[in-house]
Amino acid sequence: MTTAGRLEPVLSVRGAKKHYGEVRALDGVDLDIGEGEFLTLLGPSGSGKTTLLMAIAGFTSLDAGAFRLRGEDITDLPPDRRSFGMVFQGYALFPNMTVAGNISFPLKLRKWSKAEIDARVRECLELVQMESYADRMPNQLSGGQQQRVALARALSFKPSILLLDEPLSALDKKLRADLQWELKDLHRQLAVTFIYVTHDQDEALSMSDRIVILDHGQIQQIGLPDQLYNQPDTRFVADFLGKSNFLEAKVCERLGGALDCESGGERFNVTGESSSYNGADRVLLALRPERIRIGAQGTERFHGVVRQTSYLGERCHLILDHPGFGGVLVSAPTWRMTVRPEVGGEVSFGWDDDACVVLAEDQ
Amino acid sequence: MMRQKTTFQLLMQTGAWVVLAFLLLPMLVVLPVSLTPNEYISLPSDGFSLKHYQNYFTDPEWLSATWTSIVIALSVAVIATVLGTAFSVGCWLLSDFWSTVARWVLIVPILVPPVVQALGFYRFWVKLGLIDSMTGVILAHTLLALPYVSIAVFAALANLDRRIVQAARSLGASVWRTVIAVIVPAARPGMIAGAVFAFIVSFDEIVGVLFITVRSVQTLPKMIWQGINESIDPTIAAVATVLTVVTILIMVAVTWRWKARP
Repeated sequence: MTTAGRLEPVLSVRGAKKHYGEVRALDGVDLDIGEGEFLTLLGPSGSGKTTLLMAIAGFTSLDAGAFRLRGEDITDLPPDRRSFGMVFQGYALFPNMTVAGNISFPLKLRKWSKAEIDARVRECLELVQMESYADRMPNQLSGGQQQRVALARALSFKPSILLLDEPLSALDKKLRADLQWELKDLHRQLAVTFIYVTHDQDEALSMSDRIVILDHGQIQQIGLPDQLYNQPDTRFVADFLGKSNFLEAKVCERLGGALDCESGGERFNVTGESSSYNGADRVLLALRPERIRIGAQGTERFHGVVRQTSYLGERCHLILDHPGFGGVLVSAPTWRMTVRPEVGGEVSFGWDDDACVVLAEDQ
Repeated sequence: MMRQKTTFQLLMQTGAWVVLAFLLLPMLVVLPVSLTPNEYISLPSDGFSLKHYQNYFTDPEWLSATWTSIVIALSVAVIATVLGTAFSVGCWLLSDFWSTVARWVLIVPILVPPVVQALGFYRFWVKLGLIDSMTGVILAHTLLALPYVSIAVFAALANLDRRIVQAARSLGASVWRTVIAVIVPAARPGMIAGAVFAFIVSFDEIVGVLFITVRSVQTLPKMIWQGINESIDPTIAAVATVLTVVTILIMVAVTWRWKARP
């Protein structure tokens, strides 16, 4: 679906630039968003993700660059003529209108007939499971219910794209998880393009078809969730999406598809997409904590002393001290742990050759 | 033991009542004066009389001055509310540096001494040919009432989520449509409070009226002022009592309506 989407972009961003004084909120962004795609803009605060969304919506004008909607230039079109639905973190329901009034607002503007509006409002309320709330006022609803109404309102006029600006951030953890499933389900049912802004990596990983990682107004990496997680290009991406250990290594030798690396006084092989490196190159390696195995002394290649442990139920996090690597973060599934790590005790640890990822220099 | 009041509490409470009495007694003294049977301002010595009320409600001069004041105050309430709301909504939408400056400039008239303002009105109104005309008074009072309306409307908009405007725009509403359908309804409580303020500001304004009117525009405060200056007619006390009672009734009605709301 994603590859098909890429062939026919519904929205194209070209050379988008926006500077606020010295701050580069957007610094040359190029992006194609496929028809029916669930695309997430992910980044820390100040990365430019919200600026990009607001520029797509038409609320922020670009210093340079262009937007094209199915080939048509919409760069200078005011927000009310773009017909993108929008959902906000703070719900932004009209406080003076009922739930039904909120949902019918865009339809009345479009001069739908009364019968059409009534049918569509009912349909939209059903879509978000709020059928019995049509006559309530927004302040009589809980946060989750308000966001459902906001969603119904944004979808009521059948927009070509739905823009979502951290819509779940104001909700508590459990509700957020429930709504993640619902949003995903809605997206699948409606086949509307979703552009979703968040700073929450779990949200991004669990819902998106593709994720765009932004920092300093630039795209750091675009890809499928598992691609970004398993093959981060840069230290920033590896660090931002999940947790990572970083090892500075020297390539000693090239062994076919693998690199024989030396780091912290240890030698190990690194396989994977590392074809451009040769002997004597310095590389930065990212190593996910959950790829590290631990065992009783002598069962693995390296040895370390347990500095700290943190029990999390399904997983256990350990920080190991290794004379060469320094502190190494390990995330081990508790049900498979063969040793009971004690602070100050020695354990051995190791990883598979394909666990390390060679990173490019940060931009 | 717990019930016993400390000296400090006793002092504070006595002080509070004394201050309250000091504030209210001068107002309450008009009530007995208005009921005096005498032809001059005095406390009733032998019996009460309603003849000064009768005089107020039958004398064409007093009635005409009352109507003039009501018409002026209503006009001012309408015009100042419309203009002040437009100004505040505009500033709220822009909310940049210059709109903040504009807000402060509009509030300045509150800080200027009324006599200075009145002098200003006088100089300009002479040039504009507005001296001694209803239009002139309405215009001057509107300028005086605008700060109150804009402050009230701003207070009402302060809690409105700015994203609501973006939501309306994204749903297809033009700026104009957004203002009408979303912002003005949110500003309504401020507009009502502003209109009441504007009415009051205009209704009891005297300094400006003394400067810019001669004979053809006679407002109620001006008539009271002249009444005290020229004669010692207790009708003034009757007028004052009527105004006080009407004000209290309105206050009670408004408070009751607010309480009755869900």
